[in-house]
Amino acid sequence: MPVLDLGLIFRTSPIDPDLIRGKSQPLFPSGVAEGYWLKQASMSPYAGSMYHGSPLLLSLLGPLTVQRIKGQPSHLFCSLVFVIADILSAMLLRGIGHKLQMAYGLNARLLGLLKSPRDKEGILPSGDIAALVYLWNPFTIVCCVGLSTSPIENMAVILALNGAVTRRVPLAAFGLVMATHLSLYPAILTIPVIFLLGYGLDAPPLKLFLQTRNVESDNRSSTSSASKQAKLKPTAHLPFLWRTVVHFVFWVLVWSLCVLVLCGLSLSKHGGLEEMFKRTYGFILSIEDLSPNIGVFWYFFAEVFDFFRSFFLIVFHVNILFMLLPLAIRLKHRPCFLAFIYLAISSLLKSYPSVGDSALYLSLWALFVNELAVDMKFSFFLFCGYLGVSLLSPVMHNLWIWRGTGNANFYFGNAIGYACFQIVFVVESVSAMLNHDRALKKCNPNHQEVKN
Amino acid sequence: KKKMKNLTLVVMLLCYSFASSSGDTTIHTNNWAVLVCTSRFWFNYRHMANTLSLYRTVKRLGIPDERIILMLADDMACNSRNQYPAQVFNNENHQINLYGDNVEVDYRGYEVTVENFLRVLTGRHENAVPRSKRLLSDEGSHILLYMTGHGGDEFLKFQDAEELQSHDLADAVKQMKEKRRFKELLIMVDTCQAATLFNQLQSPGVLAIGSSLKGENSYSHHLDSDIGVSVVDRFTYYTLAFFERLNIYDNASLNRSYDPRQLMSTAYYRTDLYQPHLSEVPVTNFFGSVMETVHTDSAYHAFSNRISNSKIKSDTPFNQLSEQDVKEDLRNTHNQNDELKTEKQKCPYSEMRADLHEKLKKIENVDTMVNLSIAVMILVVMVSSSLL
Repeated sequence: MPVLDLGLIFRTSPIDPDLIRGKSQPLFPSGVAEGYWLKQASMSPYAGSMYHGSPLLLSLLGPLTVQRIKGQPSHLFCSLVFVIADILSAMLLRGIGHKLQMAYGLNARLLGLLKSPRDKEGILPSGDIAALVYLWNPFTIVCCVGLSTSPIENMAVILALNGAVTRRVPLAAFGLVMATHLSLYPAILTIPVIFLLGYGLDAPPLKLFLQTRNVESDNRSSTSSASKQAKLKPTAHLPFLWRTVVHFVFWVLVWSLCVLVLCGLSLSKHGGLEEMFKRTYGFILSIEDLSPNIGVFWYFFAEVFDFFRSFFLIVFHVNILFMLLPLAIRLKHRPCFLAFIYLAISSLLKSYPSVGDSALYLSLWALFVNELAVDMKFSFFLFCGYLGVSLLSPVMHNLWIWRGTGNANFYFGNAIGYACFQIVFVVESVSAMLNHDRALKKCNPNHQEVKN
Repeated sequence: KKKMKNLTLVVMLLCYSFASSSGDTTIHTNNWAVLVCTSRFWFNYRHMANTLSLYRTVKRLGIPDERIILMLADDMACNSRNQYPAQVFNNENHQINLYGDNVEVDYRGYEVTVENFLRVLTGRHENAVPRSKRLLSDEGSHILLYMTGHGGDEFLKFQDAEELQSHDLADAVKQMKEKRRFKELLIMVDTCQAATLFNQLQSPGVLAIGSSLKGENSYSHHLDSDIGVSVVDRFTYYTLAFFERLNIYDNASLNRSYDPRQLMSTAYYRTDLYQPHLSEVPVTNFFGSVMETVHTDSAYHAFSNRISNSKIKSDTPFNQLSEQDVKEDLRNTHNQNDELKTEKQKCPYSEMRADLHEKLKKIENVDTMVNLSIAVMILVVMVSSSLL
């Protein structure tokens, strides 16, 4: 906890946000301020070209961008809100990690890998590590200081995951609806959330439990339903808790209705819901804004012919969609990890990537240190890669735009390098997790043949 | 009795003629400047410097390039004899470069002819002549006409090939007056025997200033040993010395006298055609762009574009017209809205929606309502997640 306090102090120190905003990353600076000003001037907040977010966010954060206290740096209230959002996210991550860690320990004991409670000390406290990684990640700090809306989006995603992990269905539904409302891509998280609610927490594949005959009776509710099922009936199918999922769908509908009604209300004078969908989701899907960011699409769409533009838009968005199904099939026994992979892929392939997305999936990665830290290859290479890219990116941007001694290719090369490192990271994580499962199978001391 | 009748007739005629000659109810709306340098060749450097100095002064005091017609032979700045390429000075201290980035010459080189000059003054151009080369003045314009070069008894030499005679000038000015192309005209001429050029002028509203009388020469001011030729004439030099001390807000009047000993000639003012007293006329009436503003209380309408072409003389009747037009348009749109509303009322669902919309419009603070609802939502989330 004292470490968390240090994090808080570090953020509220008067770092000049303009310095960060002046740098490359399009952290959507002052978009909220412009949207709020337009709203106050009785115009649609989407009339300018800077604000493409939710009207609810505007009505919450807008007044904060204007209020000032004498002697304090401007946007103090906004920064405070983002700091609070980050701290909440860290605490929620800690909760998720705690649950996962307990499930890990339990599964290990059920599989007979741990003989006595003393062995549990070998398990790393993934919750604390994930929370610390999130708070101290330079990407998170940059997002918070640079006043982008990423901390709030990240908080919504983590809220959804926490609700799903701790089986609080309304919370999970609320988090998912808010995350999808703020940026479109967390919609793909419905699959892992439904798996979390239906199948339960991350666990080794069912086969391992079936192969284990020495199963101790354990009635703790944090057990995955897989091991319970294996105790009761030696079938090869996991039960799916339909009731919880239907409950979840109901709450999703309730929250979506609320959000849509509120948005329609706040935009009733300026074009209504259609305008909002066109300007928020339409903006994300059609990639109208080609200003440089840490992703790779802006460069491509700046030179593609108009005739092929819709084709390539469809290709790039389907690129995310067609990875969903195979991963879901392969990793359905580990829904939390599946959520992490989905987030990593979407932050790689989304229309306007930013460092806030990487902050999120890097801290989610830390939730799985117990499984991944041993097996992951290239970890040092990836670490150096991320460090180098994040240091060079503002330099290249400066050379290109402010000094004029470089050109777009400098910055774009950096972005391509970053994308490559992300891809290697995702692939390595998945293979490390699958290797871990295979290793579990091998070192299972009670290995016996399954009789079909 | 016949004598009395004749007398009264004559008096009435006189009054009428006075009235017609002085009857100028137009207001001064804009200023124009026509600056002509009639010489070419390197040794006439000072004439181009004269004209460019006047150009600079007139621009500095507020007349924009669109309302300046500058006629120059323009062969000094890039002359191979010019030690300071693309620079023209009017003083040996070289402090001001007159040929800066924003010099717009309208007639250059061999276009500076008597024919073009007279076409500019009278406005009789061929169809293809662009707007920047036309003097588009109207009856509210004050025009400054400045000419410099070599002149003589009732003539002005144009580019060593032709001459402008005093009656040509007088005819052109008379045509301008007939066509109502100026309200007041100030002609300044800096040549030898300049006053003779005005002998034939008869149009009212013209003030003429010449640098020398018949039989006198106008002299250059000083020689620049660096450039090798004289760089400015005396008359223009002392005129500029007067103007350099002014800015656009000054009230200096036209009534200033030139010292004949400094000029080495006698400056001549022809004021008989010009009604206002010189001491009451501010210099900026001709040399700058400061004008009297007339304040009206009527609002600005987009319709006024239609009306402004017909030379507004007084503001109120036209503005009343335009307000009436606005009211009529508003009434029309209201009628259309009512018709649309009656059609929609047939469907009950849209009735409900319309009612909702009206209620929503009445709610003034939508934002606080939205914020409250969000807070309620969050409360519900927390309560339900702790209960369930």
